[in-house]
Amino acid sequence: MPHQRRLWIVLLLAWSLGPLLWQLYTSFCSDQALVAPLAATPERWTLAHYRAVLNSQPPFWRYLLNSLFVGTSSTLLTLVIALPAAYALTRLKPWIARPARLLLLAAALFPYVLLFLALLEVARSLHLGNNLLALSIPYAALSQPLAILLLTAAFRDLPLDLEDAARLEGMGLWQRLRWVLIPLIAPATTSTAILVFLFSWNEYPIALTWISDASLLTLPVAMARIAGSSIYSVPYGAYAAATVLGSIPLVLLVLVFQKSIVSGLTSGAVKG
Amino acid sequence: MSLRLSNIGRRAGQQWILRHLELTVSDGECLALVGPSGCGKSTTLRLIAGLDPADEGSIELGERDVTRLPAVQRRIGMVFQSYALFPHLSVADNLDLGLKIRGIAIQERRRRVSDVLERMRLQERAAHKPAQLSGGQRQRVALARALLRDPLIYLMDEPMSNLDAQLREDLRPELRQLVLRDQKPVLYVTHDQHEAMAMADRIAVLHQGRLEQIGTPSELYRDPVSLFVATFIGRPQINLLHTDSSSVLGVRPEALQLQADGLPCRLTHLEWLGASQLWYLDSPQGTLRMVLAADRRVPETIRVGWRPQDELRFDAVSGRRHR
Amino acid sequence: MILLLGPAGLLLLVVFAAPLLHYAWLSNHADSVVTGLEPVLNHGANWIRLLQDQRFWQDATQTLRFALVSVGVELLLALAIALLLDQRWRGRGAVRAIALIPWALPTTVMALGWRWIFNTPYGPLDQLAHALGWPSLNLLANPAITWIATVVGDVWKTTPFAALILLAGLQTIPGDLYEALRLEGGSSWVCFRRITLPLLRPYLALALLFRLAQAFGVFDLIQVMTGGGPASSTESLALYAYLNAMRFLDFGYSATVVSGSFLLLLGLCLGGWLLSLGLSRPQRQQEV
Repeated sequence: MPHQRRLWIVLLLAWSLGPLLWQLYTSFCSDQALVAPLAATPERWTLAHYRAVLNSQPPFWRYLLNSLFVGTSSTLLTLVIALPAAYALTRLKPWIARPARLLLLAAALFPYVLLFLALLEVARSLHLGNNLLALSIPYAALSQPLAILLLTAAFRDLPLDLEDAARLEGMGLWQRLRWVLIPLIAPATTSTAILVFLFSWNEYPIALTWISDASLLTLPVAMARIAGSSIYSVPYGAYAAATVLGSIPLVLLVLVFQKSIVSGLTSGAVKG
Repeated sequence: MSLRLSNIGRRAGQQWILRHLELTVSDGECLALVGPSGCGKSTTLRLIAGLDPADEGSIELGERDVTRLPAVQRRIGMVFQSYALFPHLSVADNLDLGLKIRGIAIQERRRRVSDVLERMRLQERAAHKPAQLSGGQRQRVALARALLRDPLIYLMDEPMSNLDAQLREDLRPELRQLVLRDQKPVLYVTHDQHEAMAMADRIAVLHQGRLEQIGTPSELYRDPVSLFVATFIGRPQINLLHTDSSSVLGVRPEALQLQADGLPCRLTHLEWLGASQLWYLDSPQGTLRMVLAADRRVPETIRVGWRPQDELRFDAVSGRRHR
Repeated sequence: MILLLGPAGLLLLVVFAAPLLHYAWLSNHADSVVTGLEPVLNHGANWIRLLQDQRFWQDATQTLRFALVSVGVELLLALAIALLLDQRWRGRGAVRAIALIPWALPTTVMALGWRWIFNTPYGPLDQLAHALGWPSLNLLANPAITWIATVVGDVWKTTPFAALILLAGLQTIPGDLYEALRLEGGSSWVCFRRITLPLLRPYLALALLFRLAQAFGVFDLIQVMTGGGPASSTESLALYAYLNAMRFLDFGYSATVVSGSFLLLLGLCLGGWLLSLGLSRPQRQQEV
């Protein structure tokens, strides 16, 4: 039994990491080695791809910074709006709260790609294109359904007595949220924040249509641009190097916040 | 007169869960609210605290009408059944938070918190989180928080129901002394009539959202207005004899005595209570409970009677007491 | 209290409700290079064109095929992974974290990675085939099989998400249920069939619903991995709508394609719901 299990674990790891490891391998291979991987090539290993990626114009870390900026601002905006809304949903009468939750669930299920065209027109008419801060507005909006549902579940789990006690201590609504309720749901807030950050970091179609200035591209769009630069010959070596560099922050994020991500996704599944 | 409830009512949907409640509690008096679950006793506390709005009537606190005043402004010292300590804050921070919110200067806050910690014998626990405390310690923190509020009234919602029986008995005198020290009215909710009699100067019995009777423990015991109060107050429970179709006769187990011309009975079961013993008797009128001195031997034949002045007669339909 | 909902409600209105209304309006207008990119009312001409548009219907079947196959395979894999991760063994947390990595990476990043892995003739798969003396797989150039490559890419990326939802479901099943059935002499298979599957059903339904809706809107993966090719054989509805707007600059028709896709999805959801009602009714009678 344990032997069989070990086999399954190895298969799972190979399936999850294999494609990434192949990118890692590719990123260090010289172009000759890529074309003929089995033949004996004199200069097999090289850092040339990394050099090319880091020295390109704009340099690669620029995209990482852009994504970091969009991810952070979207996450903050999402939480600022979703926290009070989630609290309100737990305190409103059921005849408002229940339909609201159903609508949120429907919105969370909706394939948001279909919204790109209308959002593009919004960006055009309000001149929000090529503005990373403005990009966080649709991101925060698209994150609302999931964020509100997750945070609502967390608020609902708090004992009602705690808020009553805070009221008797003389705390108004904002003080209760600030000193008691929001600190108490910190774990749920953390996992929500990470999920929203991941979404904003990875989002493609809206970033693709809102941002055209090369120095403002987010990571996913920049990566796709490399692919689109030529249909016939993609610079796979350089691309693999970019993949590796672009994956490192996310891999670290997942490894560090694994518990939060899992609890966020699972509590969404259990309570949503 | 420091708390006065006039014709208080509270609805849940179309249903009245509390109605026509009239109560006064004076400074330095402890009134216990008792009744089975769902009788409206916790609702009464929540209305006084302002946590729920009253649908009818008015509440006066310290000579002031507070019926429309939000909970935040009412100055209530409340101890919850769950204690409702903020789990993310240390004991000291739990006590400090309310003072900070009310804008009291930091030195003053430190002084008050350390005073109350000392008074509650919690100094060593100041830096601990509530989860690290024992049940008794949590209860003392909850009480300390209520004391620091400098309240106009203390409201206690089953404050001891989460403690074990021994600790509960030990704490009663201490709790009574602590809350009555600053001469404020105390409202004490419990479902345990024993605790109510031990803690309270007067007891109010609630039943289905109505005030059934209010009085001192001995008044309720000796002179219940209804069958409900008679069965609710006093353990072992009062004996009920259905003598005729229109009335029910109640006799306390303590009032039964062995007498030659009494009802013939057979002993079915005997419980030792320490200083006394409790007999379960099979009589022509049904099962009787009887309390006797511990040294009493079981006689050959048992005949049981009572004095006429120990009889309590109730209407069989309404449950009201016949006078 | 309702004021606290205000900002969120406003944002959702602007980003979800307003676009849908806008589509309903724009889909009845010509708005392309021909009209000078100004909307001109054309009284349903777009919708007639959509009904007759073979490429739209081809994309619709392709999208549906992609979604059904991809989600089906993914749920089976996810169930296996969830069962594996639900057991207790050393290093489970680390493996769980590693298994999550594909889900956390941007789709576009690995879409191109897959393009390299499926590359003819330099990708590892083709190299392997070559070494074994097989013909080239030609995975990205053969219209009959390229969609399978896109399914692989999608399954790789989204299985961890489904696995986590199912894992959450598994962890709500009390262990003594299994012990009770084991005492009755039930085998592992019986336990799985009689306890795990029935109790996991709401979670399977949730994962299915969520993933089907997302797979129906597939865009990133296809746009980067195949561009919809070869010969439009992998083109999805979302990609078609995108191409109409961004390449052919026909915004009116793009809005019609989006609206049509949305109506199709709505119809599918309704059909699926009715089907599940029909399936669950006889079973309920059995239970009674």
